[in-house]
Amino acid sequence: MDVIWQGVKEGFFLILSLDQELVSITVLSLQVSLTALFIAAFLGIPVGAALALKKIPGKKMILNIIYTFMGLPPVLAGLLVYLFLSSRGPLGEYQLLFTPTAMIIAQFLLALPIVAGLSARAVMTQRQEVYDTAVTLGATRRQAVWAIIRESRLGIIAAITTALGRVMAEVGAVMMVGGNIKGKTRVMTTSIVLETRMGNDSTAIAIGIILLSISFLITFFIIALEKRSFKDDSSIHIV
Amino acid sequence: MTAAFTLSDVNKVYGSREVLNVRHLEVHHNYCYTILGPNGSGKTTLLRIMGLLLVNDGGKINVLGEKITWEKSQLLRLRRQMAMVTQSSYMFLGSVYYNLAYGLKVRGNSGTCINQKVDEVLEIVGMSEFKQADAHSLSGGERQKIAIARALTVKPRVLFLDEPTTNIDNKSIIEIEKHIKEINTTFKTTIIMVTHNLFQARRLSDKLIMMWDGKIIEEGGPALFEEARDARTRAFLSGQLVPTMI
Repeated sequence: MDVIWQGVKEGFFLILSLDQELVSITVLSLQVSLTALFIAAFLGIPVGAALALKKIPGKKMILNIIYTFMGLPPVLAGLLVYLFLSSRGPLGEYQLLFTPTAMIIAQFLLALPIVAGLSARAVMTQRQEVYDTAVTLGATRRQAVWAIIRESRLGIIAAITTALGRVMAEVGAVMMVGGNIKGKTRVMTTSIVLETRMGNDSTAIAIGIILLSISFLITFFIIALEKRSFKDDSSIHIV
Repeated sequence: MTAAFTLSDVNKVYGSREVLNVRHLEVHHNYCYTILGPNGSGKTTLLRIMGLLLVNDGGKINVLGEKITWEKSQLLRLRRQMAMVTQSSYMFLGSVYYNLAYGLKVRGNSGTCINQKVDEVLEIVGMSEFKQADAHSLSGGERQKIAIARALTVKPRVLFLDEPTTNIDNKSIIEIEKHIKEINTTFKTTIIMVTHNLFQARRLSDKLIMMWDGKIIEEGGPALFEEARDARTRAFLSGQLVPTMI
């Protein structure tokens, strides 16, 4: 227990001293994960909404595939990206392996099915009433579809925060395609693995605290954007 | 003056079951119509087809002088002259203001105009203090009054009401019925209402449409309550329990 407490204390000291390496690892982690999440949300939300609302042949099969990929093991995503980006792979000529771009691609692959699958689920739970209410108030089809997506926003926000948790905590894929190169592709999760192996518990704990705090702050920020829709007091009264 | 709605041989089929078969129906401007009938008699199906929310399988429909082709631009043009309030009206996530402003926003109205109109309709339904309230925190009665106010913002020529006062308290029913009457008389809005409440039908209607098993079996004024020709209409209007159709 003393070791952990000592680690926590040293960790806080490292954070407060704004250790240069710690700062660069944190910044890179944020750049990689938020870029991957942004692209996944940009593509995943419309894909999810389209799957929920449009008549698409093989829709059930597509959804089943997406739901399966929501549980895609990070090392498998890493392996796929590795095979595509390695010098012998189809995208080898771009020399992206062991760069932050490769890490973004890997994290994007992990986040996309989560955003698309959960967004589709959120939109599907909306009732016919939403569309009817919008069109009877004079909305065009496009405006009415937008109303359905808007009404699904709590579920969509949940999809984004879930995907954020997935990419921020992910280690296997970024390790494989990024290589954990100091000053170039080292991020928080890969650093924790490395520092723990080297016996630098305090540094590992410090990075862990930062990782957790950042995840909390980002989630808090996303929820605060829609604070009117989230209620802490549940409307279900269990007696 | 042409009728607001004319339906000829309009039917709707689900699977092998024909849920609606209307040989002829004319709905005239400025009246308050009530569609009556037991559960499953096709009242809501008829209302949704007239409200252009459900496509008929056969027959011809004329709405506000236009033959319905279900073409996108026609639907938008005609729907923008109607509004609907249902049994448990859906409220968009957000404030009462957001809900009331919706119909005006989608029509491209400006902020000042929206604000003014919202204040005006809130005044009409006596709920000005609820402007910034969360729409999902309203009681059943308040929600229905806001739904009526929301319909009023777009000044509809036709207002459809599908069981607008089911499961709400008497005080709210009195107020809602008052608003329905006002809308009909002051704004000259044609009202087409479905209700199970025979007393309400008697209080509000100029015309009654009696449905049974997907068909219109009788039409008439409030005198229908005393002078119905059809035995099924007489039984229903006298409050006898009639079997559900489904």
